[in-house]
Amino acid sequence: MSVAPVVAAVGATPVASEHRGSNLRDLMTEAVLDCLADAGMDDLSAVEHGLTSYESDHFNLQMTLGAILHDTIGMIPKPNVRIEGGGATGALALRTAWAHIQSGLCDSILVYGCEKNGRGVSSQTANQLFALSADVDWEMMVGGSYTGFYAAMIRAHMEAFGTREEQFAHVAVRNRRNAAFNPIAQKPMDLSINDVMNSRPVADPYKLFDCSLLSDGAACLLLSTEAWAREHCPAFDRRAPVYFTATGCGSDTMRLGDRYPELTNFRAKRSAAAQAYAMANISDPMREIDVAELYDSYSGVEIQAVEDLGFVQRGQGGPSVADGIFDLDGELPVNTSGGLLGRGAPVGATGVLQAIEVVQQLWATADPRRQVAKARRALTDTHAGIASISVVNIFERRD
Amino acid sequence: MTEKVRSIIDIHLPERATGGDVWAQFRGVERIALELTQSYKYSLGKVSRFFMELENGRFLATRCAGCGKVYAPPRPLCPNCLAVADWVELSGQGVVKTYSVLHFSPGSNDDVEALETPYVLAYVLLDGADTLFPHLLKANPEQVRSGLRVRVAYSDEPVHHPIHLMHFLPVVERQRP
Ligand SMILES: [Zn+2]
Repeated sequence: MSVAPVVAAVGATPVASEHRGSNLRDLMTEAVLDCLADAGMDDLSAVEHGLTSYESDHFNLQMTLGAILHDTIGMIPKPNVRIEGGGATGALALRTAWAHIQSGLCDSILVYGCEKNGRGVSSQTANQLFALSADVDWEMMVGGSYTGFYAAMIRAHMEAFGTREEQFAHVAVRNRRNAAFNPIAQKPMDLSINDVMNSRPVADPYKLFDCSLLSDGAACLLLSTEAWAREHCPAFDRRAPVYFTATGCGSDTMRLGDRYPELTNFRAKRSAAAQAYAMANISDPMREIDVAELYDSYSGVEIQAVEDLGFVQRGQGGPSVADGIFDLDGELPVNTSGGLLGRGAPVGATGVLQAIEVVQQLWATADPRRQVAKARRALTDTHAGIASISVVNIFERRD
Repeated sequence: MTEKVRSIIDIHLPERATGGDVWAQFRGVERIALELTQSYKYSLGKVSRFFMELENGRFLATRCAGCGKVYAPPRPLCPNCLAVADWVELSGQGVVKTYSVLHFSPGSNDDVEALETPYVLAYVLLDGADTLFPHLLKANPEQVRSGLRVRVAYSDEPVHHPIHLMHFLPVVERQRP
């Protein structure tokens, strides 16, 4: 296989519950300009390909955003692709960009993602629109919602393995605390386990602070061959190169009930991880990965993820999380950005933001209060629905 | 000026441009309310018979002639074998495998809009089926647990979506004299 692509530059807007002063074109423009500055480039004329990452025509009240944003940021008449994969959209977009470079179709591709999932609509409308991404015929119409599906899964996990609410409350506390050291995070909070335990019930056993945020935001990442980056990005040399070395993608049934008898964990995540680990020659992920961004759509999901990604044995997610091994000062820090719980989750940008966080960790350019020392290899874990699509991407610093 | 626009929510005009702000000329923001409603002629397709039989108080699933797997909710095509399935009738009794107590309703349709919260979304393994069927379990949330025996109850009330011609109820164990 050819040499993996490098991350030439990154850019993002702050993540917010509502960017009242900006529409999506404005947000995307700001993220792209931020990326240009990071690359030390004056314009995008050298970039060969675009890749638009957004999920929802409903939230954004605009179809064909790919064409509109591509035009807005001055990429006409270059080729463009729009990728959609539910919550996994941003990570799937990066995986697709990886394939564009690896195939030789182009040497440079700008992945740009955005979403306005924040207060542009009421929370009732937001719930309805997200429920549309469940099986409308059989799940949504009976009053199902993703909060409910995730809650049913973590209940099964609790019953099978003795996982406790205090254990997933630890995730809710830690990730919001990590967010305090991330300047673009939406909602850093200093909570106690009791604050989480006493927050209002949403879908038992999940409570308000176990739930991730609805957000507005945009992010972009310029992926290229190393030679292209050295030729076109004046600022590239100031940091150690970070390569996008491996990617895996798995799928599972849309409906939880069709997965019976497995209700506790994410098969698609195990499959995505196995592919990515094989590609990156990783046999012991807990020891060989230094920092990771995990898809904490709900606090308990992180507990399920550390099991399915092979960091710990199945059933050990709860105790290991509560022991602090995934905290900033732990063995394998995860969600240093604050995650979906603290940094926020503008869907089309989420997977890109996860990649940006781990890349900054590998560059060692994160705020020192959240910087993981000597990080060389990082993982992002992103999924759609209750992991009907799951993507694992691996980034490595080589200098 | 704003009175001419009926949909105005608010207008924000910055007092004074701050130095170095490249967007200084673009900081005035107007927000308006937009509304979009749609209605659909929505076909229930090859699983329509499931919904039609609910009106007759019958609970149907599909069975794959190839691998024998019984799907509830029904699938016209077995994804394992890509074989066309057959309709089979189930007793409508089953057992809760997992569930959630929801304290809000996404209001997906008028039937759901009318739900009192909290309500129970249960995943039920119907006797004779191999998959779990998600639906409302109308019971006191305190009394719901995994392993609870439940049965399909059929509604006589008019509904908006035919999936609400049914829901689950706990099976009341009869005391032997
Ligand atoms: Zn079959």
